[in-house]
Amino acid sequence: MNIKNNVTVALFMLIMLFPAFSGCGKKHEEVTKVSYRLKWLFNASVAGDIYADANGYFKKEGLEVEVKEGGPERDAIKELEMGHAQFGVASADQVIRAVSKGSPVVVLAQLFQANPLQWIYRPDENKIERPEDMKGKVVGITFGGNDETIMRALLAKYGIKENEVNFFSVRYDYTPFYERKVALWPVYRNAQGIIIGDKLKKAGESAAFFDPDTSGIRFVANSVITTEIMIKEHPETVKKFISALLKAWNEALKPDNSDKTVETIQKFDKDTSPDVIRRQLDITRQFMKPSEKTVFGAIDVAAWKQTESIMLEQKLIPAPVDIEKRLKMEYNRQ
Amino acid sequence: MLHKRLYQFVLVYFIGLAFLFTVKEVFNLSDYVIPGLPDIYGTVRRVFTRYLLDVLNTLSVAIVGHILSIALATVVGIIGRLSNWMGSLIRTAAFNVQAYPIVAVAPMIFILLGDGLSSRLLIAAMICYFPLLLSFIGILSEPVTDIEHFYVHSGRMRWQLEVKIRAFENMNKLITVVAGSATLAMVGTIVSEFIGASAGIGYSIRIALYQSDLSKILVALFLIGIFTSLYLAVLELLGNIVSRSWGEKEA
Amino acid sequence: MPIECRNINYKYSGAQNPVFNNLSCRIGEPGFHALFGQSGVGKSTFARMIAGQLNGFFGEIEIREPKKIFYSYNLERLPGWSGVGEHIEKVTPEANKSRINEIVDSFGLSACMDSGFSRLSLGQQNRVNLARYLLQDFDLLIMDESLANVDEATREQIIFKIKEMFPEKSFLYISHSVAEVSRFCRDILVLRNFLKIPQAFMVHGQDDVREKQVVKKDLEETMLEIVNAS
Repeated sequence: MNIKNNVTVALFMLIMLFPAFSGCGKKHEEVTKVSYRLKWLFNASVAGDIYADANGYFKKEGLEVEVKEGGPERDAIKELEMGHAQFGVASADQVIRAVSKGSPVVVLAQLFQANPLQWIYRPDENKIERPEDMKGKVVGITFGGNDETIMRALLAKYGIKENEVNFFSVRYDYTPFYERKVALWPVYRNAQGIIIGDKLKKAGESAAFFDPDTSGIRFVANSVITTEIMIKEHPETVKKFISALLKAWNEALKPDNSDKTVETIQKFDKDTSPDVIRRQLDITRQFMKPSEKTVFGAIDVAAWKQTESIMLEQKLIPAPVDIEKRLKMEYNRQ
Repeated sequence: MLHKRLYQFVLVYFIGLAFLFTVKEVFNLSDYVIPGLPDIYGTVRRVFTRYLLDVLNTLSVAIVGHILSIALATVVGIIGRLSNWMGSLIRTAAFNVQAYPIVAVAPMIFILLGDGLSSRLLIAAMICYFPLLLSFIGILSEPVTDIEHFYVHSGRMRWQLEVKIRAFENMNKLITVVAGSATLAMVGTIVSEFIGASAGIGYSIRIALYQSDLSKILVALFLIGIFTSLYLAVLELLGNIVSRSWGEKEA
Repeated sequence: MPIECRNINYKYSGAQNPVFNNLSCRIGEPGFHALFGQSGVGKSTFARMIAGQLNGFFGEIEIREPKKIFYSYNLERLPGWSGVGEHIEKVTPEANKSRINEIVDSFGLSACMDSGFSRLSLGQQNRVNLARYLLQDFDLLIMDESLANVDEATREQIIFKIKEMFPEKSFLYISHSVAEVSRFCRDILVLRNFLKIPQAFMVHGQDDVREKQVVKKDLEETMLEIVNAS
């Protein structure tokens, strides 16, 4: 192939790609239209995000924000780099992995102060008060998921060998837990935790949760992210966005505002009853703003560093990434 | 034929890879979005053997699933070629079952059969069975009058002979359909592993996706492509041998 | 074994005109007879009616026992998986197996027995197909262009052989050659356009056999009669 052909092919590729990347590299002085990609489907754990949108918090700042639902195959960081979104929500392990691979992602605010990932079990049948109590039990983990990382970190910290517990590969189907094939099953305490707990209660059983956080495993969950380029090129937009978002979250989590928040969530999450949403919201509040004094969105640098070192120990990243440099503290002091 | 298939696949694969690298360079994307060559090389060294075994595992399930669906399609095709109520019932049932998207049915299969081999086999067979069935019913219900006339009017026609005549006369079509559905068997197995199984390359792809590791996906795609091409080439070879030995008396 | 056809009316679905309009005739006496007519006049349709392969017509076809009627046509093929000899051996009833060699030899097919059917020339294929029908237990054999693509000399040999071997059987030979049917056939049923009355017209042929000299004038008269009738 001669040079002329090469140029033709390159041009052709660029033309083909142009629509897909039309958001890339556009230089606006001020961006008013932005996309915000969530980590998961619309439910109580994204209360503030939809509250901000539904109650005009972004509009007040002069922003037009498209809040986009997340899902298992969505990755906000990739969308930021591709220009399909300007803001997003990602878990700490995603952020650390991306930074380790050279992604320009930065953290603006940490949504969960403690990770809501816990293990549900039947306290009448298994007493799990300390990590050592898991020895000899069948423990569900999602291979490749961050529950695997957390569980392995926990076992390592307490000197429990991996052959002392039996891992069970977890999928969307909870049948093995209901059938007692698995003693501990990973759930998001503020989402499925409530629904599965209810089911056990209906069957006359009790439910309890094992929280790795109480055993000293601090593995950061979801945070609001953007890119360094965005901060550099559109600092005002970033400020306005995060300010509106944090305000909305604070309002949404206020106990006095519960009715309004539940009503807002219900508009987006029609499959869950208002009663369940209310209880999900209560638990979510405990993870995000455990007390009146807690500053919503505060970044827990120590927890981030621990998350990084856990990932390093488990060889999920090849070398330290100095994650603290990506944590933008200035946006979340209220 | 074999080297041609492999050559074609490798060419397409590397064109795809080159395309990704071009995108990465042009838009200055990080390794997190599209991995660079050193990243891919490192991943190959780490996971190649494990993924190779995974793909072989998947391929073996796909082959068994493929054989199952060929057998099933033959049986249903033979019954479905009848013009009576039974044939019509079988045809309607076969079409209706296929109308359900497999991703909706798969979770039920996993709940009933667990996440072991049987679920993977069943889903693989279901995915590649329908195109086979369509062709089989089509071929087996189309009379070859010029040959069948003599048998029918001399009172010698039996259903086995009828099936044999129609299959023989459409041997090339059948071979093409069987070989073509091999890809579907492979895809079906991978999808089932992705959705619910705990083994095979589909399961590994799911884990790699959890970890946002495109390098692993690229390695998996390469191995899947190579082995699917190999399987296709072997099937084509078998098809040639069958049609040659059956058709020795033919022109 | 006469076959009596009375007031046959038939129209293909979707067609504007009928094929047969009150067609009446009598065929099926032992001997080598012909069905003649211009293209599209309904020869094959009529043959398939007699053979019981076509229903849905009005009128009556009365066949007196015994009535084993076979209908063979020139596009038929043998299955590809066996050789010609093997196939013929397989489809010939036990009682007729002694005749295989005689027919195969006189039809000039000895060299074809080990071949696959599709390797044969069209003429050879037609001869093979006719041979296997002759080896069945039939009373009437309809030969719909069964000797197409066969050269004239061989055709003559084959017809003579058939007459010699099966003097008690009945044949209905469908051909487009006026000269051929005039010379070899005993009765020639000429089928005509549905507007002509009667639609079927019987002409007596020369019924030539080996070592008999047909008088040229008689043959020409028969030919003329057929041409005029059709």
